Amino acid sequence: MAHYDTAVIGGGLLGCAIAWHLARAGTRVLIVEKDQVNRHASGQNAGSLHFQLEFRMVEHGDDAARLAARALPLHLDAQRTWAGLEAALGAPCGVALRGGLMLAETPAEVAALDRKAALEREYGLDVQVLGGPQLRELAPYLADTVRAAGHLPGEGKANPRLVTPAFAHAALRHGAELRTGHRVTALHRDGGRWRLSTGDGRSDTADTVVLAAGVWTAELAAMADVRLPVFPVGLTMSATARTAPLLPHLIQHVGRRLSMKQTAEGNVLLGGGWPAKLVTRHGRTDLDRNPELRYESLTGNADAARVVPAVMRLPIIRSWSGMTTLTPDQLPLLGPVPRRPGLHVATGGSAFTLGPTYARLLASTLLGDRPDLPLDDYSPARFGALNFV
Amino acid sequence: MSNPTDVVVVGAGPAGLAAAATLGRHGARVTVVDEQQRPGGQIYRQPPTGHTRTGRRTEAGRALLAEAAAAPHLDWLPDTVAWGVFGTRAGLDDYAGPAPAPGRLRLGVHTPDGGRTLEPAALVLTAGAYDLPVPFPGWTLPGVLTAGGVQTFLKAQGLLPGRRFVLAGGHPLLLVVAAQLVAAGAHVVEVAFSQHLRTLLPGPRDLAAAVGNAAKLAEGAAALRHLRRARVPVRFGTVIRAAHGDPELDGVVLSRVDAAGLPVPGTERTVACDVLALGYGFVPSTELARQAGCAVAWRPAEGGWIVDHDDWMRTSVPGISVAGELTGVAGAEQAEVEGRLAAYGTLQTLGLLDADRAAALARPVRRILARRRRFAAAVLSRFAPDPAALNALVTDDTVLCRCEEVTAGDIRRALCDHPHLGTANAVKLLTRAGMGLCQGRSCQPAVCRLIAEQTGRSPEQIGAFTAQPPVKPVPLASLAAAARQHDDQG
Repeated sequence: MAHYDTAVIGGGLLGCAIAWHLARAGTRVLIVEKDQVNRHASGQNAGSLHFQLEFRMVEHGDDAARLAARALPLHLDAQRTWAGLEAALGAPCGVALRGGLMLAETPAEVAALDRKAALEREYGLDVQVLGGPQLRELAPYLADTVRAAGHLPGEGKANPRLVTPAFAHAALRHGAELRTGHRVTALHRDGGRWRLSTGDGRSDTADTVVLAAGVWTAELAAMADVRLPVFPVGLTMSATARTAPLLPHLIQHVGRRLSMKQTAEGNVLLGGGWPAKLVTRHGRTDLDRNPELRYESLTGNADAARVVPAVMRLPIIRSWSGMTTLTPDQLPLLGPVPRRPGLHVATGGSAFTLGPTYARLLASTLLGDRPDLPLDDYSPARFGALNFV
Repeated sequence: MSNPTDVVVVGAGPAGLAAAATLGRHGARVTVVDEQQRPGGQIYRQPPTGHTRTGRRTEAGRALLAEAAAAPHLDWLPDTVAWGVFGTRAGLDDYAGPAPAPGRLRLGVHTPDGGRTLEPAALVLTAGAYDLPVPFPGWTLPGVLTAGGVQTFLKAQGLLPGRRFVLAGGHPLLLVVAAQLVAAGAHVVEVAFSQHLRTLLPGPRDLAAAVGNAAKLAEGAAALRHLRRARVPVRFGTVIRAAHGDPELDGVVLSRVDAAGLPVPGTERTVACDVLALGYGFVPSTELARQAGCAVAWRPAEGGWIVDHDDWMRTSVPGISVAGELTGVAGAEQAEVEGRLAAYGTLQTLGLLDADRAAALARPVRRILARRRRFAAAVLSRFAPDPAALNALVTDDTVLCRCEEVTAGDIRRALCDHPHLGTANAVKLLTRAGMGLCQGRSCQPAVCRLIAEQTGRSPEQIGAFTAQPPVKPVPLASLAAAARQHDDQG
């Protein structure tokens, strides 16, 4: 048994990044991870750094888009943070910000693109809608069916294989402790501290606890008798064999589920929100099993890739499923949990793209500083009605 | 998509042919999916269409191919890749298009005409095995082949892939291939067998197991006799240490090993050759079964990870059976027998055979199987390579993952830098080993052996790379075309 200033539950990007900030500030930090570092969403996603609003945020109409746009101040911050991340960590993370294009193929999609760009510009995100020769010059590889594209020069990609291990490594260098293969089985208040027990009979205490456990956040919160509305969704990603450089930009689509990019090694990665089916066991969702890939998602994602004809000849060499964490309003869930002194949460929203930003802001809260961006819109307090104590 | 197939058999080797013929004879409608142009698999491989070759075919192979060709209700899909099984964990739904009838499985296939699905009530997986790749300095040079690969050249078109051959490894196939090479007019410079002769000589237990398996022993003995007559040196206790040449193989370094199988310093000698054929045994081709969710077990003497099954060859996934090498590498005769047993099990599931009749039909088959298994356990298992001896062939500079050019040193360093990592998947994610076009088939055994050596973890703890669809590479255009087909029908 040991005592820590902070126990971070979850060895993903958020947990490791928060631990890095806290350890760097000289506090005593423990990361507890039930599997291995980077084993789940942080390592399974396709590495898009998308600072434009995604298709899933605009597909449900203007009101939903306007609500999702409240995270745009974080997008602006994240653009800057990623640009300086490798220098800050002293490790390669595969960050390449060569611009992103969100494509439109029909007149209705072009109109949606214009509305989206107007909303983004309100928040200071400089998205330009390009068409005609200007677009062809920037992206000669696009299919003729593409009419216009929202262009954001600072978008791009990072390598999900490298980012979280780099944060973990940096945190360990500053004295954080990392315990993998240990699942937290109980979490409660004990003498003004938090006590967390892990399956092996071990128990430790901490002044503050951060739940950064993605889809497992709800069940951990329940151990502290708090209901948090986070929902798992299964996603599909695919990779082609390596090929010569053909796609410098991050590609998304305003009217279909699609994200596409080429890695530094030359693989083209496909994703963009094609569902995988969560596995149930005894009538309940089993979060410990990877979601089952759906044939329709693999073929549908392949079909959406036609906007870049050159990729169609490439072989797909693997597809995989992963889970991400949604909240009812698509906004992050970030900050202190009301009526649970010292309990904090970080999940939801675009948690890979915005992860380094979430981590910095939450760490300043934990260290007693005032975060330099208002976090009220993302606070768990907005779901206070779910909790009676 | 509806189609009238009751059973899809994946693979047309000894196990697949026997399963398909037996199923068809008992009234099941069968589709046989095979990657090759013509049935036969590796062991009964036929020359490609249009080639006439007067090679010898074994009696067993001829009989089995004839039996399958004559069986009713068989539909053949050659040149076709079975790349994924869907709906075995979370079930199939029709909200995105037409779903198959309840109780059916969805199998994604890539045919010469593009992508489609097959929706059978049952699957029999008989994907066989592939040569165990063994890394050592220089193993990626052109001219370094596997013994199975050399045999394919010979069987398919009567080709010799070089002039001067060295064969090295620890599997009896080496002797058979060496004798075939000599018969085909090749110059076999040397056969280097890693085991010492005394560990290979039969003991009393083996003689008992040999009852009824004389043909198998005779094959090895005959090969050895042919080699002696042709004055081909067969040296025991000798291993491959390095291959060199630029841009292609021109020689290999061999050395003696001690009683533990580890190289003895100072015994290295160079032998000139333009082909090195490696034969250390086989790895069961379990990827489609694992992707489908079938439970596996670690059986190093039988090739590594094998698919668990009951005594009707049924796996942990309802509707899916296995036969042949993916239940443990044991050769063509056992594969054929298991194929028939899998067919009897599947026929019961389909309601085409009652339990009493199935038990009666299976009785003689089970007798043969028991004999084969005794033989496999007693004799073949002693040829299983020792992990420490294989690891001793690898230097820090040796490439383990040839697709992504990841060396043993890269993996050792990654494990040192991240001491909390210790599974095949975690190492793959961190180093890219296993992420290439071969989908990990070439490097997985060596990567896992290295993790075990470095971390002290067991093979079960380390696991295998997750088998992900497509389990063989499939063009993006084929998948996209399948999506449009679906839309048209919906």
